[in-house]
Amino acid sequence: MMFRKTAALFLILSLLVTAFAQEITLQVMSTTIVENPEGTVEQAIADAFMAENPDIKIEFVGTPMNNIHARLTTLAIGGEVPDVFTHNPEFIAAAYDLGLTADLNELFSEEFLSGFYESALNEATFEGELQFLPWFTTPMGLLYRADWFEEAGLEAPQTWDDFLNAAKTLTQDTDGDGQVDRWGFAMVGTKNGSGFARYAQIMHTFGAQEVRKDENGNWVTDLDSPEGIQALDFFTSLVTEHGVVPPGPTETGYGEAVSLMASEKTAMMVTGPHTIGAILAQNPDLDGKIHSVAIPMGQERSASLGLLGFAISSSSENKEAAAKYLEFLVNTENLLEWNRVTGRMPARVEAGEQPQISGPVYTGFVDAINYAQPVPTTSFYTQLTDVVGEAFQSVMVGGVSAEDAAMQAAEQTRSIIADSE
Amino acid sequence: MNKSVPVKQVRRDKPSYKGQSVGIWFVLPTVITLVTVVAYPLLYGFYISLFNTNLLNRWKFIGFSNYLDIFTDADFLGTLWVTSRFTAGAVTGHFVIGMILALLLNQEFKGRAIFRAILIVPWLFPEVVVALLWKWMYNPLYGLFNDILLRLGVINEATSWLGSTETALFAVILPVIWKGYPLVMLMILAGLQAIPREQYEVAEIDGASWLQSFRYVTLPSLRHVLMVTLILDTIWWFKHFGVIWILTQGGPIKATRVVSIDIYKTAFESFKFGPAAALAVVVFFIVLLISFIYRRLLSDDA
Repeated sequence: MMFRKTAALFLILSLLVTAFAQEITLQVMSTTIVENPEGTVEQAIADAFMAENPDIKIEFVGTPMNNIHARLTTLAIGGEVPDVFTHNPEFIAAAYDLGLTADLNELFSEEFLSGFYESALNEATFEGELQFLPWFTTPMGLLYRADWFEEAGLEAPQTWDDFLNAAKTLTQDTDGDGQVDRWGFAMVGTKNGSGFARYAQIMHTFGAQEVRKDENGNWVTDLDSPEGIQALDFFTSLVTEHGVVPPGPTETGYGEAVSLMASEKTAMMVTGPHTIGAILAQNPDLDGKIHSVAIPMGQERSASLGLLGFAISSSSENKEAAAKYLEFLVNTENLLEWNRVTGRMPARVEAGEQPQISGPVYTGFVDAINYAQPVPTTSFYTQLTDVVGEAFQSVMVGGVSAEDAAMQAAEQTRSIIADSE
Repeated sequence: MNKSVPVKQVRRDKPSYKGQSVGIWFVLPTVITLVTVVAYPLLYGFYISLFNTNLLNRWKFIGFSNYLDIFTDADFLGTLWVTSRFTAGAVTGHFVIGMILALLLNQEFKGRAIFRAILIVPWLFPEVVVALLWKWMYNPLYGLFNDILLRLGVINEATSWLGSTETALFAVILPVIWKGYPLVMLMILAGLQAIPREQYEVAEIDGASWLQSFRYVTLPSLRHVLMVTLILDTIWWFKHFGVIWILTQGGPIKATRVVSIDIYKTAFESFKFGPAAALAVVVFFIVLLISFIYRRLLSDDA
């Protein structure tokens, strides 16, 4: 009788201990969980992790990429930063300034970290601290409709002249009703991060930088340099002069541009490999018809790495569990599955060297990595989104000359730089 | 000899508050709620506006610098001008449509209850849904408006209504009118139903036309309802954010950049919380001023 009572008590205590031990809930704020097809794969990876680690529960907080910085800041002010959150080089200095991130060098072994591409680790590091664990890269390249190019006898564009020629050739009235119904270029012309990031890449190939450090270590801008003005003039002339962009470029965001490609209304788009998955999710018939090439050359080649990863909050009480999840997320098997479905390229060498990451779909993006330039790490960088966006919009729909718009943008940028000092 | 009349000394008792302390307990919950929900956020907002801060680890007191910056910034005047045009367009639309529909619904006709229910529907939609619906209808390639206008021959080619600096503001006002007229309609309808029928009968006996009845009976009787509705509607749309943000994010260029979008961008894109708070305080006083002007113009003494 005594033994039964003791056994029952032991059983109850064991159950209680087990129940309390299962209480680790990791809040993961992710921008990809709200996208299609990314969200499905990310959830599947999290489910597999939870099956292996029943003591850890992953709870996603979905938020679109263009909103995450605002949302994170709001949560930080309220002391509610999630354990893990999407992070990228554009926000790295501002997040560091706010004290949001833990130094991941203290949570992961050197051996594990040595498995990442060095360029990815460098971009994820600020002030000597690893701010986030790189997950994937979306190096910016040019997606194009290989089948249309072949029909028209065009080669993949290597220079902006080639690009313009192809865009003009492929802008057509395909049904003969007297109205153009297919355009050469799906321009993202919105005044947000998506529009800014794409325009910045084009500008870099002309030899101008939105901001850079000069030889004395001071921040300067090239927006009103001859190269900057030339870039702005070329970009906006696609709308104002050549008519190779569908109507309404200033209201065409990333999602709308993807839809234009998926609905076969446009032939080319400046974007990363992730767009392939998004286009095929809307129109699977395009499988094999979309190829990539590095962004055409102006004075030089240029690309961004398009790095994205996850940071662990400095205030998280579950840092070890978070590190365990992130280590699982970036194992080779998961990175390859993630790439297969979404097109996003692995940030780890072992996965990146697999045959899966090759072929005409990826040629341009793999090539682009060779020209990758790091994002300027400064807390005022996000303010340039509005400044640069307003510059190209004012030329496209405001009747302002490229020179005047570039001068005004440069003046605003210099004022932002001065304010930050 | 005058005999002085003895003045009767009246002993004035000290006022007795005995038993009245109970009243304090009745009032206390309201006071606490008002202080917590209204006064504290207002004062805290003002406090933030005096700092250069990221609200976490940087608090540098800079006095009224943020206010000086606002009043010396030409962009702020531009933003205020856009906000005023947006608000005027929205409120005018609400009152014109709301008044017409309220007058119609105040008539006796078959199926009136059904029409009342249907006409309230736009008000029930969340702002996000309204904005997305209209964004789709405005789409230059697939949108309903372009399709209809092209078929009717009104336009020759697809037009970007939200992407043009000439049409963008009007294009964001339309959905806002559609979303907001039911509230005005309901308020006016309630006011109309409170007007005694006898007043119209007297006007009719005096030979007043429909227009004269409307001018001399309906409008004066609705004065208080109109004033309250006008104040509420103006304040609500003056600081509106949602529909504009989803439709244009304040663009193209600055064509639809109203003051609430300015505050949002300053706070959450530039992470300048001090200037954003100062802007919010300025908007608070502008709204207070509008409310005051309306009261003066529409009060019984005016």
